[in-house]
Amino acid sequence: MRKHLMFLTVLILATAFPTAAQQEITVRIREGMPAIPVALPEFRFTENSLADEGLKKEMYETLWADLEFSRIFTLIPREHYSYIARLNPDKIVMKDWASIQANILMVGLIEASGDDRLIFSLNVYEVNSERLIFGRNFGSKKEFSRLIAHRAADEMMKQFGEKPIFTTKTVFVSERDNDKEIYIMDYDGHRQTRITINSAIDILPSWSADNEKITYTSYRRLSPELYLFDIYAGRTELVASGGSNYAADWSSDGERIVFTSSRDGNAEIYSKNMKTGALKRLTFNPVIDSSPCWSPSGREIAFTSERSGTPQIYIMDAEGANVRRITFEGSYHDSPTWSPDGTRIAFVSRINSNFDIYIYNLKSNELSKLTEKAGRNENPSWSPDSRHLVFSSNRSGQYQIYLVDYDGQNVRRITSAGENKMPKWQRYVK
Amino acid sequence: MKRVAIVSLSLALVLMLSFCAKKAPKVEPTPATTMEKVEETAPKVEKPVLTEEELFLQKSIEQLNREGNLKRINFDFDKYTLRDDMKPILQSNAEWALKFATIEILIEGHCDERGTVEYNIALGEKRAEAARNYLISLGIAPERIKTISYGKSKTLVQGVDEASFFQNRRDEFVITKK
Repeated sequence: MRKHLMFLTVLILATAFPTAAQQEITVRIREGMPAIPVALPEFRFTENSLADEGLKKEMYETLWADLEFSRIFTLIPREHYSYIARLNPDKIVMKDWASIQANILMVGLIEASGDDRLIFSLNVYEVNSERLIFGRNFGSKKEFSRLIAHRAADEMMKQFGEKPIFTTKTVFVSERDNDKEIYIMDYDGHRQTRITINSAIDILPSWSADNEKITYTSYRRLSPELYLFDIYAGRTELVASGGSNYAADWSSDGERIVFTSSRDGNAEIYSKNMKTGALKRLTFNPVIDSSPCWSPSGREIAFTSERSGTPQIYIMDAEGANVRRITFEGSYHDSPTWSPDGTRIAFVSRINSNFDIYIYNLKSNELSKLTEKAGRNENPSWSPDSRHLVFSSNRSGQYQIYLVDYDGQNVRRITSAGENKMPKWQRYVK
Repeated sequence: MKRVAIVSLSLALVLMLSFCAKKAPKVEPTPATTMEKVEETAPKVEKPVLTEEELFLQKSIEQLNREGNLKRINFDFDKYTLRDDMKPILQSNAEWALKFATIEILIEGHCDERGTVEYNIALGEKRAEAARNYLISLGIAPERIKTISYGKSKTLVQGVDEASFFQNRRDEFVITKK
């Protein structure tokens, strides 16, 4: 397999290099950067607080898991904290924390009142300079304790120049109620909420650029039509009908969607201006063109086409011109998804009847395999910071949703109720 | 013409029956037996005179679908071209649809569980379209046949062997109007 991949890489290098200059690269990801060592000692309660241990534990574990997940920070193992004196928030001995190799110390204080209110205070220090980097208070109802921990983790990301991804959400399809319905959950799989209630098949959801709306395909009128659901207004409207209409993706400026439609008799790619309603057909051939996805700049579209005889991944300009192929080996590729930093395209390949997720690096023209022969792995979708992906896999015997880092590390299952599939992570964060 | 024949035949039978009924008291059986006899013979006589057409008219769309008047066809892995052994099935479907010229058909294209959701919708659509074109070539009016693709959303059988996959890669022909 590895040999096979090497050959694949060489082939792509040889054939695709001339087009490399046309492919956009917006941000360079800081791969391979050593993670920042952080100490996160147990939170404490303020003097006037209720000692709600369950609440404390949940917030602590949530924040810990977020930072551990980030690939930006690495947490000093908890057992090391017992080597030094217990933290006294009023008189912090930074030398102690330096002695267990912490660069950053996070000090959390909880004030839980009897009337369901919660205040979480976080002070973050640089250990060597003994300097306070930032301090923040987060307040809410106790039921949103996880959200507060995620906000605190987001603040850490922002302070270190990273995208706040921990309050982002994933939309997905669940069959837990016997029929395919759309759900939303936190990035880590918690707080799952159903958003469509009908007895029809609802599939392939995706986020609008402002994260306030969901496009999805529903069979409610006995034909796969594309709908737009406004999460906050609770309103649903029809976006595209006639033939099959599916696999919508929003441009980063929030103005246009691209999607697959067979309205003219064959699966082709269309873009629709969501402000004017203007529809434009982008592909013209008698075979299948599908699964379009915007580049983050909105200048290009990655998509699947059968024009060479088998489904392969192509890139074209936003207006449908300048089509070039990026996959050359293998006979089945689909579900391309462009990383929000513009550097890579993830997609699904079938090789020797295994369905795995691959990542094509647009800068180096290298292909890497993300998942390793465990069930069928489908529908990859990037985190807003391009460091992680969410995907669905039937490796456990039924379809569930998993997280994985860009380099294949830290695979983690995040759903369990019923079958869950077709995840889409929010693509953009403010 | 047929209808006239049926009516006259029925009339003849009714006359015959009334003649029998009149004759019966002469042998003096109990009246109950006579009643029974009439009831027994009546449906027996009626049944064979219902034509295929009349039967069709009597049945609901659901009943016609349940009976499997239109048979499903299967496809090869990754393919949407019609298999030669499936063409006779389509021909018999076409014959039936030509006979009952009022029916409208929805062809559902389906895929097995392998493959991506997106591509399978397109593939299912191509499969439904292939059957539709074939039926049109056999004389069915295009406006009588609609298509829908379910991709891999509605598998027919569970199972991870080729036999199950084969059963799932299919077109179903659903009567939607008669």
